[in-house]
Amino acid sequence: MNDDYLWDGSGEPDPEIQKLESTLAKFRHQGQAPEFPAIAATRQPRFWHRFVSSHWSFRLAAATATVLFMAALVILWWSQKPNTTSGPGWDVESVAGTPQVVSNAFGKKAGTAKLGIGQTLVTDSHSKANISIADIGTVNVEPNTRLRLVAGGNGHNRLALDRGTIHAFIWALPGEFTVDTPSAIAVDLGCSYTLQVDDSGAGILRTTLGWVGFKLDGHEAFIPAGAVCATRPKVGPGTPYFDDASASFLEALSKFDFATTTAQERSAELSKILAESRQRDALTVWHLLARVGESERGTVYDRLATLVPPPASVTRDGILRLDQKMLDLWWNQLGLGDVSLWRTWERSWSPTKL
Amino acid sequence: MTTAPAAEPAGDSSLVQAAREGDRAAFGGLYARYARMVHGILLARVPANDVDDLVQDVFLRALPRLCDLRDVARFGPWIAAITRNRANDYYRQTRAVAAVTESLPEDEAELPASNTAPDAQAAMILAFVRSLPDAYRETLILRLVEGMTGPEIAARTGLTPGSVRVNLHRGMQQLREKLNQASLSGTIHHDSCSERNSAAQDKNALRRRNEP
Repeated sequence: MNDDYLWDGSGEPDPEIQKLESTLAKFRHQGQAPEFPAIAATRQPRFWHRFVSSHWSFRLAAATATVLFMAALVILWWSQKPNTTSGPGWDVESVAGTPQVVSNAFGKKAGTAKLGIGQTLVTDSHSKANISIADIGTVNVEPNTRLRLVAGGNGHNRLALDRGTIHAFIWALPGEFTVDTPSAIAVDLGCSYTLQVDDSGAGILRTTLGWVGFKLDGHEAFIPAGAVCATRPKVGPGTPYFDDASASFLEALSKFDFATTTAQERSAELSKILAESRQRDALTVWHLLARVGESERGTVYDRLATLVPPPASVTRDGILRLDQKMLDLWWNQLGLGDVSLWRTWERSWSPTKL
Repeated sequence: MTTAPAAEPAGDSSLVQAAREGDRAAFGGLYARYARMVHGILLARVPANDVDDLVQDVFLRALPRLCDLRDVARFGPWIAAITRNRANDYYRQTRAVAAVTESLPEDEAELPASNTAPDAQAAMILAFVRSLPDAYRETLILRLVEGMTGPEIAARTGLTPGSVRVNLHRGMQQLREKLNQASLSGTIHHDSCSERNSAAQDKNALRRRNEP
């Protein structure tokens, strides 16, 4: 007996499967559609689209046409060649232009190529690509991006983003997909996010669904949906924030995280951050507990306690000495997810080479 | 070898676009198409008694986030990911309660109130399916419980047809072994030839994966 009946119900019925179907049918979905609330029309263009269109000026049209003509010739030439890429790797599809995997360029007519372990995918200013990561997600690669596949399969899928922009949409188990950047490692915890890295190695991560862990040398940041986190070479991830915070809050936070300042100036920036923080900014203030000196931690504690009171088992003394368990318990009070998700999956994400 | 992902179910894109523009009927259409898949994914992970409520919760969570969906043709994989995350959230939220409650074997917890013999048998078989590896149990539940065909599962979840076919075949093989060990083989009319044929079936399944 073959498995056609199991596959699509065709062929000779398998009585064993028929019996299982009838026995288990009692669990089948029978619910009616709920009353959905009114939906607000959502046509806000995405950041990237605005970014691209702002650079797509008429003055560049002539140069672009020339480049596209050259690209078309390359695509035509490659489309005549058989695809010789083989072996394990992730499927890469050209979306626009001529992305390159190592020395192989491919265009739309060539279909897909494979990105093998150790290979690099490069897009120029006119090309885009999509990467299908086995059955765990997709990565959209924007123009001017350089991306390496460091590891794949067996629950350890790792990319290195040297520069450019990617949009990752991952439905794997938390921790199975990581992206190295020159200044931090992004650890997927079941989510969708955009990661950008510039030529200096500085980066910014914006989570749109679920949450992401950002880590380097014990410096860690948790970035829930709607939040943003910047990172800089030799500094690591900054303090995550919601970008609807006040302008002075964001300016002070940027200086606090990355500017070269005296201790006095840094302390002044901290005071501005705390004064401007709203309840929603408890995300940022919680992270600051571990990022300030001992002398300033009490002030940060007091501010966070007014925004989100700590659980009964969390003491001021415990927080001042950065008791990990108490910090985690307080985080769980913020309503941004359970930090144990991160602790559970935190294993071997230290970069092999940064 | 790589099999092309299943094509987007016809009309998903237009439904998503319409829902984004405020059309509740369009979102209702998406619900009608994907409720079984969401139900099945949840049933593979959380207690059956809570699944119906969670199905509605998943769609109500997805509704305001439609604007975050970059590729409207990928609604299925997108809501499947939201569903799996919701199942994870379920355990995070209920863990504190579970910690102070005496542990109850999952099979017993799944027994319906009526506890008739057919109900108990169904709950036990469901428990066996849920004890399979992730990829197998989800696909098998969509097939055996929700009544979806393999091609439909591939089209809805975004998995390749080849992956779905292999998951169904291997998952069914493992389920048979578990049912045999539990002496339920007679109850479900287990075909004794299936064991002998399993190696040949494996080869056939692999051969079909490689066919265009």
